[in-house]
Amino acid sequence: MSAPDGPALLTLEDVHAAYGPVAALAGLDLAVRPGELVCLIGANGAGKSSTLRAISGLLRAGRGRIVFDGREIGGLEPAEILRAGIAHCPEGRRVFPHLTVDENLAMGAYVRRDRRAVTDDLERVCEHFPILAERRRQMAGTLSGGEQQMLAIARALMARPRLMLFDEPSLGLAPTVVETTFGIIADIRRRGTTVLMVEQNAYLALRMADRGYVMETGRIVLEGPAAELLANDHVRRAYLGG
Amino acid sequence: MNGLVLGGTYALLGIGLTLIFGLMNVVNFAHGEFYTLGAYAAFATLAGLGGGFVAAVLGAIVCGALLGGLTERVLLRPLRGESIDTTMLVMIGVWIAMQNAELLVWGGVAKSIPHPFPTEPLVLGPVAIAPLRLFVMALAAGLIAASYLLIHRTKLGRAMRATFQDAETAALMGVKIARIHTVTFAFGSGLAAAAGALLGPVFLAYPSMGDLAALKAFSVVILGGLGNLPGATLGGLLLGIAEELGAGYVSSGYRDAVGFVIIIVVLLFRPSGLFARQERIG
Repeated sequence: MSAPDGPALLTLEDVHAAYGPVAALAGLDLAVRPGELVCLIGANGAGKSSTLRAISGLLRAGRGRIVFDGREIGGLEPAEILRAGIAHCPEGRRVFPHLTVDENLAMGAYVRRDRRAVTDDLERVCEHFPILAERRRQMAGTLSGGEQQMLAIARALMARPRLMLFDEPSLGLAPTVVETTFGIIADIRRRGTTVLMVEQNAYLALRMADRGYVMETGRIVLEGPAAELLANDHVRRAYLGG
Repeated sequence: MNGLVLGGTYALLGIGLTLIFGLMNVVNFAHGEFYTLGAYAAFATLAGLGGGFVAAVLGAIVCGALLGGLTERVLLRPLRGESIDTTMLVMIGVWIAMQNAELLVWGGVAKSIPHPFPTEPLVLGPVAIAPLRLFVMALAAGLIAASYLLIHRTKLGRAMRATFQDAETAALMGVKIARIHTVTFAFGSGLAAAAGALLGPVFLAYPSMGDLAALKAFSVVILGGLGNLPGATLGGLLLGIAEELGAGYVSSGYRDAVGFVIIIVVLLFRPSGLFARQERIG
């Protein structure tokens, strides 16, 4: 699949961020165009999750610009960034274990004021994820890992985002569930939502992405169309195991 | 019967404290002072303004919630992320400051809070109960029910529970954590003040009345388990009934001791609380 052209939906320019004295991002540049599926790969601790956390406002960028849809969002509260149209599906799923499936989904729509549309979306999401529809009154903590992943994705969709951030969607899931999850992500993109994904499984991620970025120690060291990265020697050696 | 009167107000105290402790990880040593504040607010409404008993309780809740919200906003919010010891010291400071302020304003002499109920007990079959106590019990039950509805049936309550379970993910959903903390502290303080307004007319109002109440509230939280609303409710009722039975069958001098004996026994055998399944709110 070729990447759509046009101005970027999300741009990060020279972004720096740190956890206390430990630098996490050291001059990061990255762009995502509307309709793209972009993946970010790299070793543990390279700063992939920090990148997503900086975008969604959980980690304050100390320097640099983060622009979404022509508007500077660096330094905004997570609530405002979500309202602007960016939803973050966090690593490890992080569903609220003692809330029901329905309540978890409602939390996804927490910033929305259009109550009737939220109710419609809730029904639509349940149609889309029949496994959740059967368990709407069940505590999320009692779901299996795969079901929790569905719930985490559905919850993020409840915000009606234009850009979705996925952090390690395959982590800790059985291979068949990973396949389902990636199918859902591809489907979300097909329906017009732009996707930026961080993924440990570089091969799977690059196979379905349009473009990829390779991160090392807080900055981008390589970028290009996913097919080129898959064929790149450095990428093959470092991240694809051969 | 009297056990339920005490128990209902203990439950209110416990719910307030367990919410604050569970959600904010703040050990609120000043909790008892909001109870005292509630009693004096009720005194002011009933004796000073000539309002009714329901108005007195509502006035107390409003006072408690406002001062509680202010305390959180001014003293605790800047300390978010600090260790639990720091906030504990701050709350001890608030406790001392509030108690001395009460002493300054109301004086050290215990005040009897006037109430509009007849003192003649109502006899219902085998039990006799003062109308005031019956009314206190009904209001306490109503407030407990209202707290449940707030926590379990409203968007705000859902956000509070989500924040308790995973604050960072709640923030990702757009929940303003700082605001949830202020609301929670105001809510908990309002409940403590309600308890003070309810029990004040049954006993007496004096500046250090909150100390014992705070101890009772901590006991209830220990009984029920951290952040456990049903636990706090049942723990409160249990403590109230146990004290009343202890006072009746052993000696009224041992009323407070009975409660603490129970706490020690619970801590020995079920250290995470009688009703603990897991850490939870709601």
